[in-house]
Amino acid sequence: MTECFAEILWARVNAADGPAKTWLERVWPGGIEGAGASPTSVQFRAAFAGCARRFRDLTLQADDIRSLRDAGVLDGANWQLDNVARTALLLRALSLLPSGEQAEIVRQVYLRGDYREQAAVLQSLSFLPQPERFLELAIEACRTNVLDVFEAIACENAYPAAMFPEAAFNQMVLKAIFMAVLVGRIAGLGQRATPELKRMVIAFASERQAAGRTVPDDVDLIVNLDAA
Amino acid sequence: MKMPIKMFDHHIHMTSRTTDDYQAMADAGIVAIIEPAFWVGQPRTHVGAFEDYFLSLVGWERFRSKQFGIHHFCTIGLNPKEANNPDVNDGVMELLPIYLEKESCVGVGEIGFDDQTAVETKIFEAQMQLAIDFDLPVLIHTPHRDKKAGTERTIDLVKASGIEPGRVLIDHNNEETLAATLDSGCWAGHSIYPNTKMDEGRMAALVQQFGTERITINSAADWGVSDPLKVPKTVDAMREAGISEADIETVVWHNPIAFFGQSGRLDLGPDGERPRVDQTELWEGNSVLRGQEAKIEAAVEDAAGPAE
Repeated sequence: MTECFAEILWARVNAADGPAKTWLERVWPGGIEGAGASPTSVQFRAAFAGCARRFRDLTLQADDIRSLRDAGVLDGANWQLDNVARTALLLRALSLLPSGEQAEIVRQVYLRGDYREQAAVLQSLSFLPQPERFLELAIEACRTNVLDVFEAIACENAYPAAMFPEAAFNQMVLKAIFMAVLVGRIAGLGQRATPELKRMVIAFASERQAAGRTVPDDVDLIVNLDAA
Repeated sequence: MKMPIKMFDHHIHMTSRTTDDYQAMADAGIVAIIEPAFWVGQPRTHVGAFEDYFLSLVGWERFRSKQFGIHHFCTIGLNPKEANNPDVNDGVMELLPIYLEKESCVGVGEIGFDDQTAVETKIFEAQMQLAIDFDLPVLIHTPHRDKKAGTERTIDLVKASGIEPGRVLIDHNNEETLAATLDSGCWAGHSIYPNTKMDEGRMAALVQQFGTERITINSAADWGVSDPLKVPKTVDAMREAGISEADIETVVWHNPIAFFGQSGRLDLGPDGERPRVDQTELWEGNSVLRGQEAKIEAAVEDAAGPAE
């Protein structure tokens, strides 16, 4: 299923047949026919950075969004071609590297990204080989102060519910409430609503009430979840 | 009073400024800013410090700015002062292609001369070539010491680089340098400063003398004694001097957009409106908003003017 990212990307740039195609042919990791950017090079990192503006004028088609959904992207309608391109570039780069060097490339691209790049890395984690390798990176991402980055890992992303240990998952949910991010957007919340999470949320509500401040509606939503 | 003119401060180092500054700038009518990569006061001792700085320009600072309804862009380059430092110069030059690709990078800069050394010349030339390769406009700093000769050397180097002069903005001009800068075909920036460089009244006089073509102003506010409201204050001075609203708007809005728009990356929305302010993007604990009520503007139109 993960081939769909590269397929969509190349379909869009080939259809447009303009400067985006020329550029992608030049930077595609490993090259089209042998040569091309090494995944460990400055050129690869520059290519990853350049996706947003190089593909700005190209839009995803309805079929592309269906393919993304089939591949497991939970919010395909919110993806743009640069998200697809960045996932495709990461998959391609990892395929060219020995398994022991793969995780470090993902980490470097994440750390050196602007926030749209960081969001793209986080949205792609579930689709990369051996995704459990990226757990630390995903937990670290939840410490961001930038809303777009936090939403990319916390919302419409299957990774946290599938991979996070309880403490990290609970911190993410609590931080979503603090940031006024609707917890309904957290995939798999129902399966991860433990007594400990409910205790933390009730304690948060109590603290708010004691301070004379309003308590977000999402507190009740979590307390009333009956899973776990 | 509603201030009808939108302003663009195309040179300001917000990393060194407070949220009060952001609020005051938004209230005064500043809609967009460019933060050029520069010297941060304390010399950097390793390349990683530059990388984190560039990342803050395309990341955290951009987010901070948006929370006050101000578009934030940057220019990326190795500043002339630190171009002299062999511990960092080659390493930073190797990294520049990554950061010149970033979405919010609208130019190479600020680069140029400080002490006018041989190393500065070499790195200045290499960055002019990067501007050509990346098809980006260039923001050039001119030196504080031996300024007139330094500006003339700058113009010679620009000509020799082969770049189109209309894609170069030479900054920090004064009465002694402006004519030569305009004659070269480059754009001429002016940094309005409390004590040095250029002040509001002198700037109004220069606009009366030279007109508005290829002329811009900025605050160049940073970590020193400087003022992030110098662009609006100069607008007031130009009004007092009798300069027309249309000419003022050309200098503080249309000109910087025309210049940096040459990057093809200056995305100000359809009418150059403010980004929507949504301070629920902030939260207590770690953010720039600590305990205040979040300000949510219902629509872009509400954000277009300054606070009453």
